[in-house]
Amino acid sequence: MAAPGAAGLGRRLRAWLPRIMPVRWSRYNPSYLEPEVKKESYQKPLEELTDEEREHMELKAVRPIKAAPPSLSSSVFSDPMISKFTNMMMKSGNKVLARSLMSQTLEAIKRKQLEKYHKAPENEKETIECNPYVIFHQALKNCQPIIGLSNITKGGKTYQVPVPLTDNRKRFLAMKWLITECRENKHRRTLMPDKLSQELLLAFNNEGPVIKKKHVLHKMAEANRAYAHFRWW
Amino acid sequence: MAAPAYPAWVTRWVSGQWRNKKRPPALRPPRALALADKVANRREEATEATCITEMSVMMACWKQNDFNDAPCAEEIRMFYDCVAKAEKERKNQNEDTMSSRGNLPSSKVNKLLKRFPQITRYV
Repeated sequence: MAAPGAAGLGRRLRAWLPRIMPVRWSRYNPSYLEPEVKKESYQKPLEELTDEEREHMELKAVRPIKAAPPSLSSSVFSDPMISKFTNMMMKSGNKVLARSLMSQTLEAIKRKQLEKYHKAPENEKETIECNPYVIFHQALKNCQPIIGLSNITKGGKTYQVPVPLTDNRKRFLAMKWLITECRENKHRRTLMPDKLSQELLLAFNNEGPVIKKKHVLHKMAEANRAYAHFRWW
Repeated sequence: MAAPAYPAWVTRWVSGQWRNKKRPPALRPPRALALADKVANRREEATEATCITEMSVMMACWKQNDFNDAPCAEEIRMFYDCVAKAEKERKNQNEDTMSSRGNLPSSKVNKLLKRFPQITRYV
């Protein structure tokens, strides 16, 4: 008799107590400022700052500053897009594995491009891009869809309406397509760095299944362009 | 007696008009004869979709060039500019200004009327 009563009481008490765990939105007071990690901004002499930068510096003297998250780094080698891609590749919080896979992918891209570079004749050597970061960024840019489809219900029927996408959504879709393509449609025994480097090189040249998926989405949007007026934003 | 003159109400009563409800309406106490502090909820018309022309131009360019992005870069840039402009306008739209069509939705009207209510008594 006492045990179920105590358990119910505990549950109700826990629901009433204010949450200490972080929720989806930030728990910081709005007066907290973002931390500045770039070293260049601190090496500028005082005279070169513009007025708004001077104001910002004065504000930083009186306002508290949020704690820098561990993913934010001041290193020259850190790239926010690469970090985002690594996080999306990560499974069950295994960041070590995801990061090592990412570095192996970049190394594989460099190796393949260097091989092509050394085999190419003299006049073509300048056209071959060897920087894996440049290839990664260009491939992602080529994979981003320009227009998306969203389900809008009107008069009981659901239509696929062409809709402009935000930058974040485009980046997310490009990364998601690349990762799912590598995970699902390849031979079981190929390693992720090999699959990913191959996909990234194909996307860099505007070929490959991910670019095809983007084109399919564009074609569907083009076919449904009559429904574009169903949008209200 | 030839044509006895009875008062009007007698004739009306005898003819049964009063009982058949052909009588002037009894004045029930009406609501206060003053303007209320809210308007009825009206269904707002949906705003139009933005950037349709740019989108159709871009799609025509796609159709001609087999959905490659390189030859259509100009149209794609115009589409992105239009989308960014529409997004900015949506964010800058103040709550108390009128919509693009020129009418205020009933919720905003009610908010304004609540701030300036009808004075029903002088104190």
